[in-house]
Amino acid sequence: MHLPTRLALLPALALTVLLLAACGDSPPAADTSSASGTSADGFAATEEAARGQTVRWWMYGGDDRVNAYVDDVVAPAARKRGVRIKRVPIADTATALQRVVAERRAGKTSGGAVDLIWINGENFADGKTAGLWLKDWARRLPNARRHVDQGDPSISRDFQVPVDGQESPWQKAAFVYAYDRDRTPAPPRDLDALLRYAKAHPGRVTYPAPPDFTGSAFVRQVVQQKGEDEGFAYLKQLEPHLWRGGKTYPKSEAELNTLFGDGQIDIAMSYDAAFVASAVRKGRFPKSARPFLLGDSSLQNTSFVAIPANAANTEGAQVVADLLLSPALQAAKLDQRTLGNPTVLDLDRVGEQRTLFRQATKSPYLLADLGRPVAELAADTVAPLERRWTQEILR
Amino acid sequence: MRVVAGGHRAGRDRLMLAPAVLTILLLFGGALAGAVRTSLVPLGGEAGTDAWRTLLSDGEFRDAVRFTLRTAAISTVLAGVLAVLLAWAARRSGTAVRALLALPVPVPHLLVATLAVLWLSPGGLAERILGSLPVDLVHDQEGAGIVLVYLYKEIPFLVVLLLAAMGQGYRERDEAAAAIGVSPRQRLRWVLWPTIRGPLIVGCIIVFAYVVGAFEVPLVVGPSYPPTIAEYALQRSDADLIAGPGIAAAALLSTAAASMLLAALAVRVAKDPQGA
Amino acid sequence: MRSRARRPALAVVAATVLALPLLALVLRAFADEWRAPALLPQRLGLRGVRVAFGGETGAAFVNSAQVALLTVAIALVIAWPAARVLGERRLRRPGPVFLLLAMPLLIPSYAVGTGLTEWFIRLGLDGTTPGLVAAHLTTVLPYVTLVLLSGFGPRLSAVEEMGSVLGLSPVRRLWLVTIPAAAPTIGAAVLLGFLVSWSDYGASLALGAGRPMLPVVLLPFVGGDPQVAATLTLLFLAPAVAALVLTVRAGRRPL
Repeated sequence: MHLPTRLALLPALALTVLLLAACGDSPPAADTSSASGTSADGFAATEEAARGQTVRWWMYGGDDRVNAYVDDVVAPAARKRGVRIKRVPIADTATALQRVVAERRAGKTSGGAVDLIWINGENFADGKTAGLWLKDWARRLPNARRHVDQGDPSISRDFQVPVDGQESPWQKAAFVYAYDRDRTPAPPRDLDALLRYAKAHPGRVTYPAPPDFTGSAFVRQVVQQKGEDEGFAYLKQLEPHLWRGGKTYPKSEAELNTLFGDGQIDIAMSYDAAFVASAVRKGRFPKSARPFLLGDSSLQNTSFVAIPANAANTEGAQVVADLLLSPALQAAKLDQRTLGNPTVLDLDRVGEQRTLFRQATKSPYLLADLGRPVAELAADTVAPLERRWTQEILR
Repeated sequence: MRVVAGGHRAGRDRLMLAPAVLTILLLFGGALAGAVRTSLVPLGGEAGTDAWRTLLSDGEFRDAVRFTLRTAAISTVLAGVLAVLLAWAARRSGTAVRALLALPVPVPHLLVATLAVLWLSPGGLAERILGSLPVDLVHDQEGAGIVLVYLYKEIPFLVVLLLAAMGQGYRERDEAAAAIGVSPRQRLRWVLWPTIRGPLIVGCIIVFAYVVGAFEVPLVVGPSYPPTIAEYALQRSDADLIAGPGIAAAALLSTAAASMLLAALAVRVAKDPQGA
Repeated sequence: MRSRARRPALAVVAATVLALPLLALVLRAFADEWRAPALLPQRLGLRGVRVAFGGETGAAFVNSAQVALLTVAIALVIAWPAARVLGERRLRRPGPVFLLLAMPLLIPSYAVGTGLTEWFIRLGLDGTTPGLVAAHLTTVLPYVTLVLLSGFGPRLSAVEEMGSVLGLSPVRRLWLVTIPAAAPTIGAAVLLGFLVSWSDYGASLALGAGRPMLPVVLLPFVGGDPQVAATLTLLFLAPAVAALVLTVRAGRRPL
């Protein structure tokens, strides 16, 4: 067996996963499917049709951990089911959507170039409104029926938009912050403390300018905790004490985190709960960096995979989406050395494989407790909030 | 061969121009038509001028136009002046210096912008070497970072164009003029300037149009506000899948129209765009 | 002609201002850890190389090279006769033709790409090599034409005339006289055309239908992972710089 070696630790991990996947992915057993044996048969037909297909999976391509997970863990498992995965790296999920829209405009109703998209939030909502997605497939996946709690609002809704079986859950994300233990022994622990901290340390705090995803999430967290108008009043109060007097902002999370790594500011932030672990491994943060939460809660969301209705390989795409929900592949992501993000499975429904999920090592770079989850605002409020921020805070 | 009757010759010239002209008409015309269509017909909707109306009533777009034109004008003028000086200084230089001068030409704009961040941002390499920088260059309100990146990229581009024009023919004319006692200043006016005027104007138009239309550099080193027109277009099309692309296409078409108009005027002014 | 006066000052300034920033890329590519205030990397390593050379980078390199070479070859053939007519000033009013041929230079390539996408999807050209070549041709052809026409003129015509007088057939004259005499210009045109296609992001993304092209593979790393971005950039610049050096050498050959 040949395994591409991307990260030093991945081969061993991938091997474990493959072995586990081999046990876990025996043909869909009828244990949990009480009344709907027919749709399990339906998936057998899907699996049959998927054999030999190559699934072009459009996804953000700038994170070597995600890339390695897909190439070294997911792709080998998919190959065992006769499906090849071709990762299409993009800088921005909107690119994949624009591609699907262009095909729609050109009247291409089948054979489209996008088979699977890693997606959530506004992008999913926009596509749903435009009728771009394949419908009624996600809840039928065998692993979704076995291991996913469809009653969980974080699974059935995506930025408050009903998922309606048009996308299948993949990852969970939590909005966390970072400080440097050596430089800032006592970081601010809530928004009011953050304001006091900024006043006491002018120029040492900032956040990326929305519409950057991370900056937008920070603004939404403020709005969620304080209410919209009070939240904007808070941001206005904060502004003069920010980096460069709030006249300008970092353009992206990457830039914010570089400033943090270079000691220019005291607080970094990300919608990736394991970002401190990753940044320390890449040498971008000092080893003394630690994650923390503002308040006792964290903004959380689920990201999904969606299939365009005109995709050339819809069956193969469904097989991959199903595979992503297998306990073995979900458990492999827990490890902070790979992705370190929480599972979307309901651990009460994974049976004996539950033990897989205990392997996650304790790490100073991961928060053991992500606090009370706060669901995201509705997708259609995001763009107006970003506009308001541009008009009231930036201009 | 050369002594063909005028009519035949004009016909043959047209035939020789045809492949290039038709290719551009087809591909470029097709792209323009596609953009016009996108700006007028939203996905699954009826044709209309909504996108154009939204664009023209948006204060952010007006700010973007002002900021973009100013940045482009400053970059172009500075690049033009400095390129002439540099080309003059390098007119007798050897291969090594010429290659060095041309070095940034093959480096894409986006990479130069990220290099600028690596060097010039707070905590960047320049600060590490010098201790601190007297001015903010990355994300500054006035767009100095954008201008700096474009100077790094476009001066070498113009120098290459100018040095190509200042080849053997120029050297012979200049030496001849010097031999008959024409003063250095007069040689600049009567020998150098006619040689480089055409390529310089053409080069400057390309630079100006590029600065107006490209998003990579302002996206990385520009201020948070205002955006350039291209950044504005990108933000609109990312923010709204349905209406966004139409607004973006309208924004880009209006800059394209402005650039083409400017180019038409400049070609008129230059009289001889191809240089001597 | 060798330079009469070497200008060390100019060379030093050019090297510092133009080359030094680029050299930082090399350090960045091999720095597993490099944060302020350290002037040199805290830790060197090959993480960038391991990540950069995984995935589709190899295929992307081949695709980009193939499209760029084809585009330049076709652009040369199409541009040659047009550049001849314009360069020898055979038109009484060259302005409009000149303007038309230069027009695509005034539009960013992603606008060209998105404008063409819908048509190319309808024609089944998107994601194919001919489709990508056609899209790149839109921006490459004007550059190649503009550079080529500067090489045609009375000087070249005079040399060709001599060839004819010596009784060379048109084909042999082209091969033995015209091409060698115009070599520096052809070299410059090829270089510029190659670079424009090789580094095109906008049209490649819009029309690539997910086909890996080098700038497309590189871009996602530019924001998030400077080390990998720097490594890919070095790979990206290698052929470009090689082509540049070759062209400059060719350009110095006396006409």
